[in-house]
Amino acid sequence: MTQAVPALPAPATTAISRRTLVRLGAGAAAIVAIVMYKITRGQDVPTWLDLHVQRHAQGAYHWITQNTGRNLVLDAIKSIGTGITWCVKRALSLLRVLHWTGVIALVFAIGYMRAGLRTAVFAAAAIFAVGLCGYWDLTMITLSIMTVAVALAMLIGVPLGIWSGLSDGAERRLRPILDTAQVMPAYVYLIPCVAFFGIGIPAAVVATLIYSVPPAVRLTSLGLRQVPVVSTEVGRSFGSTGPQLLGKVQLPLARRTVLLGLNQVIMMAFGIVVIASQIGTGDVGGVVLAGLQKLDAKLAFSGGFSIVFAAIALDRITTGERALRHGRPVTVWIVDRRRMWAAGLGVVVVAALGAKVLSVQDFPSWRVGLGSWAKSAIDWLNKHARHGVPLIGGTDSINTFFVRDVLNPIRGVLQSAAWWLVVVFFAVIGWISKGWRLALLCALALIGIAAMNNWDLAMDTLSQVLVAVVISVSLAIPIGIWSGRSRWLETALRPFLDTAQVLPQFVYLVPVVFLFNVGRTPGVIAAVIYALPPGIRLVSLGLKEVPYAPREAAISFGATPRQELLKVQLPLAFKAIMLGINQVILMVLATVIIAGLIGGGALGLEALGGFTKPNLKMGDGVAAGVSIVLLAMILDRLTQAWGNRSAPENRKS
Amino acid sequence: MGKQVGAGESQIVNSPRILGAKGENMSTRIRTSVRFAATAVALAVVAVACGDDSKSSDATGAAGTQAATGGTTAPAPAGTNPAAAASGAGIKLAVNPWTGSAVNANVAKVVLESKLGTPTELVALDENAAWVGLDAGDLDANLEIWPSGHAADHKTYIEEKKSVVDLGLLGPSAKIGWYVPSFVIDQHPELKTWEGFKDTTLAKLFATAESGDQGQFLMGDPSYVTYDEQIIKNLNLPLKYTVAGSEAALITAIQQAETDQKPLLLQFWQPHWLQSKVKLTQVELPSVTDVCLASAAAADGKYACDYPVDELYKAANAGLEAKNKAAFDFLSKFQLTTDQQNEIAAMVDSDGQTPDAAAKAWVDANPDIVNAWLG
Repeated sequence: MTQAVPALPAPATTAISRRTLVRLGAGAAAIVAIVMYKITRGQDVPTWLDLHVQRHAQGAYHWITQNTGRNLVLDAIKSIGTGITWCVKRALSLLRVLHWTGVIALVFAIGYMRAGLRTAVFAAAAIFAVGLCGYWDLTMITLSIMTVAVALAMLIGVPLGIWSGLSDGAERRLRPILDTAQVMPAYVYLIPCVAFFGIGIPAAVVATLIYSVPPAVRLTSLGLRQVPVVSTEVGRSFGSTGPQLLGKVQLPLARRTVLLGLNQVIMMAFGIVVIASQIGTGDVGGVVLAGLQKLDAKLAFSGGFSIVFAAIALDRITTGERALRHGRPVTVWIVDRRRMWAAGLGVVVVAALGAKVLSVQDFPSWRVGLGSWAKSAIDWLNKHARHGVPLIGGTDSINTFFVRDVLNPIRGVLQSAAWWLVVVFFAVIGWISKGWRLALLCALALIGIAAMNNWDLAMDTLSQVLVAVVISVSLAIPIGIWSGRSRWLETALRPFLDTAQVLPQFVYLVPVVFLFNVGRTPGVIAAVIYALPPGIRLVSLGLKEVPYAPREAAISFGATPRQELLKVQLPLAFKAIMLGINQVILMVLATVIIAGLIGGGALGLEALGGFTKPNLKMGDGVAAGVSIVLLAMILDRLTQAWGNRSAPENRKS
Repeated sequence: MGKQVGAGESQIVNSPRILGAKGENMSTRIRTSVRFAATAVALAVVAVACGDDSKSSDATGAAGTQAATGGTTAPAPAGTNPAAAASGAGIKLAVNPWTGSAVNANVAKVVLESKLGTPTELVALDENAAWVGLDAGDLDANLEIWPSGHAADHKTYIEEKKSVVDLGLLGPSAKIGWYVPSFVIDQHPELKTWEGFKDTTLAKLFATAESGDQGQFLMGDPSYVTYDEQIIKNLNLPLKYTVAGSEAALITAIQQAETDQKPLLLQFWQPHWLQSKVKLTQVELPSVTDVCLASAAAADGKYACDYPVDELYKAANAGLEAKNKAAFDFLSKFQLTTDQQNEIAAMVDSDGQTPDAAAKAWVDANPDIVNAWLG
């Protein structure tokens, strides 16, 4: 750990000569690459490389189908499912006993305790809005499933995050597992989850858990790693033991980042509600599906907004502290806190009993036509945005342009290039980025994809991911910088970011299809919508985490705001920004995969086979899923390497 | 790591934990008593919650049904407790995400509860998840299975593992086929049969950005059986096979084609609620021959016929007969004709009734049919 003083510009002469050298090298490499591409194009993956993963995975799944209910280990796993169902039913009973009044009071009380009146009112209003959407009880089922899944995710994720934050080896070992959990399409493991844990709630909780645990681990680890060395040194010099240091210094200081992890866990968990409702949870996700299947935008959005409001409420009361004045807790409360908890509990009980006494147990029939508004908005867009828009022509012609002039050429090059040339190409990029280790990793991952026997599909997916990432990053960085420096923008953006991240992708996939036709374009657009929020958030968080001292120093040396941003804030926030880009890439990939449902084809459609025809295509699904994970690893490691390369500490050496 | 000395110090000072430590000593006594009270209240609430369990699990089932059918009314009817004379174990029926399935399951539920006193829970879920549920006994029966999409499941669970049993035909038949919006036929009557698509200029009417120069053939939900690629290749048609990926995307494409009056060729099926809202015409393909059936069975890629008719069937968990003989016998005999199913489905799709209400009304109006199932 070095003391980071903003890097001084290197002496001009060496910079120029080095730059010229690099440029010449890059030019030469490009020419070589193009010549090689022309000569060797069309060379396919040899058949001997095929590992027949499809056949083996299908065999394994067949074994599972033939042994469920007949095998002790499988029975033991299934009893975990029973335990999960018990927990969810308890949580649901509690929510139902509280009635709507008690639930609102509970949200208010927790919000007030944790973050003050404003957050409390906001969160209570959000949960009240759930009722206004018309699906109170179904949303309570969702909420109980989510609560259990999120609690389990934190119980598993935070200890793993601590382990990974304290030990580099652990981080290295956990990383591929986390990548797999986050990137493997839910459609691949949903049916196996059902086979292992039982239909409905248990399978849904496990699937949600798998998908949402990575941010808990990642951000806990990041939080610990961001604790200033000085603080741990001070703790050590006062004689703290390891656990003391962790409990009294490192974790409290990492708290904000861990809470951001909780926030991300909740957001991810809610993202899977609709998919999970396909396996029999009987919750509000089913409303969204029914709406889509009946082409009823009103129904789909009413269900979708119920999920959004529930997620927002949960998010605010769990991470509301961040909204406090400059991150400083209001100390006045500390003494009174316990009494306030008791008071809060009292309010909740009174509210719950009140509903019973006044016999208004069910949410009243007040409704707000959010669904209808959304439907009108979509109808308007359909009517006016598709054709005849001045200058751009409309979404229809954008789609044509996108497919013919952007996606097709990129896919064409990737698919027609000799497969080994692509391997070499990525290995070279890896080597330049970090060294031979990364080169080897890139090469092996690509050879792995070739061995899954779906090279062309992977190249198709890669082309879609590249396009969506370029668009997302070029939007996320400026917006994130701006919102990191402007409090009002951050506040104004927050509801949109929350909505975009939590609104089930399914809800907007179909409107996007309406605008851009069935095909790859709507998938790319949906990916951008989904990947922007974490990108913007992490960029802006990174800027805000930059300590004030170096900024002040820069200002006192007469730096303009622009200089301060470019030379101080951005370099110091680099790690967080790269984490943001990294998340963008993983989320883009996730959406491009889900876009298999709307004509994106490629690996996404193949992965869907595990869900739509498990006894025929589970193997295809697994092979596609593994290819997706390998693809994600390449993209992830490369961006990470770029991040570390240009980070200030490395630049000095 | 770009962290500064000053920042580190200020973070320590601001840390809530460390400030809190001072307060803790002062209020230990209050804290203990409050904690005790809080725990007691929480336990009491949980106890009440537990007492409510039978009712709430029942309501979960009811809610599931509503989600499946997309009922727009607010849910949360507390469990409609079945007839007091409950005989036999309760059963769970699958409701797959289409109206026909909801209709069958709800009619069966009404009969099971009112005539046989069997508490019945409906579980809304995807058809493939339903097979896994049937296998494990998480579900007792699924009353509408389209055979063409589930040959592998039939083989895995019914023939090999014998954990699921075939309960016989449901009655109605279904049909997958090639469809175009009817206005396309009005403009180009020769597209009524597959031979019309041999004409490259006509086929090109169906081109999209994704299909390039060729006409686009749109396959929808990947859980359906598809011979389309083979048919296109073996009949030598200038079409490009593309997959929409889901029923929702497919019907969006239909709606869009209808709005724009733009030609669209797709795989679709009957019965489907959209058939009564949008005029679609089935394209004639060569009729089904034994050669085609043989090549379908052999999966040799030589299929070049229309889709065979789907005779819908029922399936149950193998343990159902032992668990509840009366329910098993009833479900085996349970059958609806195409007309009957359409009639009840129309009460839901066109008249806006809930499947539950439609089923009750229909069962009340048709005692003879119901008694035949029970006899």
